[in-house]
Amino acid sequence: MSADRIIHGVVRGEPITIIVDGEPLACFAGETVAAAMLAAGVDAFRSDRRGKPRGLFCNMGSCYECQVTLVASGRRVRACLTQAVDAMEVVTRG
Amino acid sequence: MERADVAIIGGGLVGCAAAWQLARKGASVVLIEAGDINAGASGQNAGSLHFQIERRFLENGDDLAEQGAQIVALSRHAVTDWATIEGDLAADLHVAMDGGLMVAETAEQVALLERKAARESHEGLAVRTLDGEQARTIAPYLSPGILAANFSADEGHADPRAVTPALADAARREGASVRTATRVRTIERDAGRFRVEGEGLALSADQLLVAAGAWSTEICALVNIHMPLYPVALLMNATERTAPMVPHLVQHVGRRLSLKQTHAGNLLIGGGWPSRLAQTPNGGFDLSARAQMIPESLTGNLLAARDVVPGVTQLNLIRSWTGVTAISSDQLPIVGPVPRVPGLWVAAGGSAFTLGLTFARMLADAMTGGDADELALLSPARFEHLNGFMG
Repeated sequence: MSADRIIHGVVRGEPITIIVDGEPLACFAGETVAAAMLAAGVDAFRSDRRGKPRGLFCNMGSCYECQVTLVASGRRVRACLTQAVDAMEVVTRG
Repeated sequence: MERADVAIIGGGLVGCAAAWQLARKGASVVLIEAGDINAGASGQNAGSLHFQIERRFLENGDDLAEQGAQIVALSRHAVTDWATIEGDLAADLHVAMDGGLMVAETAEQVALLERKAARESHEGLAVRTLDGEQARTIAPYLSPGILAANFSADEGHADPRAVTPALADAARREGASVRTATRVRTIERDAGRFRVEGEGLALSADQLLVAAGAWSTEICALVNIHMPLYPVALLMNATERTAPMVPHLVQHVGRRLSLKQTHAGNLLIGGGWPSRLAQTPNGGFDLSARAQMIPESLTGNLLAARDVVPGVTQLNLIRSWTGVTAISSDQLPIVGPVPRVPGLWVAAGGSAFTLGLTFARMLADAMTGGDADELALLSPARFEHLNGFMG
């Protein structure tokens, strides 16, 4: 699954870069980590107990399927509720 | 009318284990459950196998602590029962017995630990007292604030969602009849037998075992017997899964805390924090509705977990739930025959995850002609004064 940004009639924040699994990913201030990942075609957010990838499901904080790990703190957060910040680094393993 | 040697009311751990044990001995058994197997405290508790004297026995003076110490004799049997149950049932119940620590954070609590360990060694339970550094050597996840711990090598945990269904399956394999969604409406005594009736149920049994947890009082009332059990609602919490970090059962001697890591990797956090029982419009407790969480219990429980195992602060809490168990008027479980009504047996009143297999095995022995000596401490006979005008 991937997503496209609406192009017309939208005012965006500053262009920023987050780092997902070591890869830079261009996005805009004001977007969630999940939105940025989906817009870039990254749809595997975490792995289940058998190591199979899991994708975002509800995109509103209920399902916990989009948990990623913030490298700076080691905390797992829901990507759909986490604002992208320039230079923020996340990993999808776990 | 259907006939059976034994009717068991309650599809929890004790009822299912007793059905299995009795059926193995050749008794015809009908197990009757109002809801579903494992729907009550047996499936809602956090699965601790705790053999050290519980904190609740230590905070109300010496007499109660002495009673708590006497339960240790039963705990020694429970160690064996848990060590063999997966083999006996040929089922994976995630039984882990890698040891348990009861920790202390203050000098006063350290003294309590030492008194507790003395009582335990007197009863034959091997417990080592460790200072903080020694405790952190075997349990590096413990906070620097832990001053001492008692270590019991046999403690651990099992999966409450797996144990009781496996026992029910084993009971069925041995020929017991298991009736779920069957609420008992009446129990009549008829020529020394028990006539148990409900929707789709008309059963005559030689003996009746009430193992219905917090509902046991109501069931005993159907036999015109008082059973001094009081419902209590507790809180349990689970974090998200994480890499193996806590191989032990962790408890606290002075605060309400039990903490363990499940086979799947979640940390389960409980320890006896109260929840609020639902109430009926006319003022009683409503056991059919779920108890409500008390916010202060949640924060208190999580703060205790943080102070003992600081690593929990890195984890998300994914679920908190309430469950209802029962406590007797003297805190000890009530297990054994009711003198006033020959053939009537009871097993309720808490501690029945850790000790439930043992209660069931001993009851099955006693109900098929053996003695109930080892259960004497827990006998309903101690409340016979309440039933002087009953029966």
